[in-house]
Amino acid sequence: MSARIEAQSVSKRFGPVVALDALSLEIAPGEIFGLIGPNGAGKTTFIRILTGYRLASQGDVRVDGISVTTDRFRVQAKLGYACEQPKLYGDHTVDAFLRFMGQVRGLSGARLRAAIGLSVERMGLEPVRRRRISVLSKGFRQRVALAQALLHDPSLLVVDEPTVGLDPAQQIELRRIIAGFRGTHTVVLCTHQLHEAQMICDRVALLDRGRLAAIATAEQLRADGSLEALFLARVGQPIHSEGAA
Amino acid sequence: MIGRVVALARKELRQLFASPIAYVVGTAYVALTGIYFFQHLVSYNQLLFVYQSEGLTGGGFDQGTVPSQINVLNEVFVPSADDFGLFLLVVLPLVTMRVFAEERANGTDELLLTSGLRPWEVAFAKHGVTYLFVLLLLAASAIYPAVVVARAGLGFEHLFALYVGQLCYGCAIASIGLACSSFTSSQIVAAVIGYAIPFVMLDFAWLSNAVSEEVAGRLKEIALLSHYGTFPRGVIELSHVTYFASIVFLGWLASLTSLELGRAR
Repeated sequence: MSARIEAQSVSKRFGPVVALDALSLEIAPGEIFGLIGPNGAGKTTFIRILTGYRLASQGDVRVDGISVTTDRFRVQAKLGYACEQPKLYGDHTVDAFLRFMGQVRGLSGARLRAAIGLSVERMGLEPVRRRRISVLSKGFRQRVALAQALLHDPSLLVVDEPTVGLDPAQQIELRRIIAGFRGTHTVVLCTHQLHEAQMICDRVALLDRGRLAAIATAEQLRADGSLEALFLARVGQPIHSEGAA
Repeated sequence: MIGRVVALARKELRQLFASPIAYVVGTAYVALTGIYFFQHLVSYNQLLFVYQSEGLTGGGFDQGTVPSQINVLNEVFVPSADDFGLFLLVVLPLVTMRVFAEERANGTDELLLTSGLRPWEVAFAKHGVTYLFVLLLLAASAIYPAVVVARAGLGFEHLFALYVGQLCYGCAIASIGLACSSFTSSQIVAAVIGYAIPFVMLDFAWLSNAVSEEVAGRLKEIALLSHYGTFPRGVIELSHVTYFASIVFLGWLASLTSLELGRAR
């Protein structure tokens, strides 16, 4: 079953810098939800709070009613997380890494082998499963990151910048994989690629300087124009138009 | 819970032995302890030779007698134990510096701390594997004193106490190094602080002229060497074991605190 997420007035300050400013939003079960915004908008900060890696200065995020602030381990049991620029153990083979992550997730024996087999198949990792992660291409490393996030069959999948640095073919393939989770998993996708968010997300939240600048459904975007137009309208003009008469 | 800790411990072991540091440190430690132990043994044999030689008969010693204080314990065991302790202090920060700092620098701490692992499990596994490495180091160097104990009839309790002492001492130094590593993402910073703290705590004699006699006495009570010295003599005192266990616990607690504080950053 997929998870419901509620963020209630979530704020995060790093000294004088406000990274998130009273952000509130809801994500429905089975939805692919996009987070977009310029650098420093607070996307990754929100994801880190959602995954329990960072603590909100104020407010709370609840996953299926469970508070990330007070009960993060129960929330983490429900979620799979593929970080930005996949942070993996390069000295492990794909198999060894997935075995380790599965064991950390509480899997063992036949269940672990089955989970690894399924993740490897889903992500197309069979040709590289005995190779060391450090020698894999970025595309395969992203797939390994997604494979480990799916091992324990989480109801919530959080993916941060999955297509950064990938060639077009790898980007298309990865988007196809993420879109395949629609309905079965709730997916929170953080991305800089506006067309990517428009292509695969059911709804998109636009963050700007820690605040929710806009939120739109796929239908609204199709009706009102592109996500790019929304981005420019709410966040600002592209650099080349600055100072233009 | 245990499965998670064991999985993490296996991962730590794999990473430890995948890097050349473990082999370099292990080789250096075994070589240094071997050379210095042999050196003390040679010196002891030379002393025996001098005392037992005929040339000293008229010089105050009866032929063939050796003063009671010239024995394997005083001439080989105790000085070797002092050297072994110093070598542990030299090599262990090189092992501990990467344990937490590398994880933080590579960002893999995010992977661990969002996977349902409790911070205490992370700290426990990382500390446990490092102490296991200390044990392996000591086991690899145990051959020299073990041979002497077997051949010189010194008594197994001396060997046992020496290694209990070294294990306590090594784990305490490793624990300090691990605590330092957990507060930074720089391995160099972790190593420098991991050296500085045990060296400062080794023996506060360098401070004795600058402080009152009472303070100097108190400082001596918390100095590492004050608690290490009795082990090579075959004496295992609970107070000394407790002292080292407290440092190990505080190091683990500092690592745990660092992981928890990281969340609030």
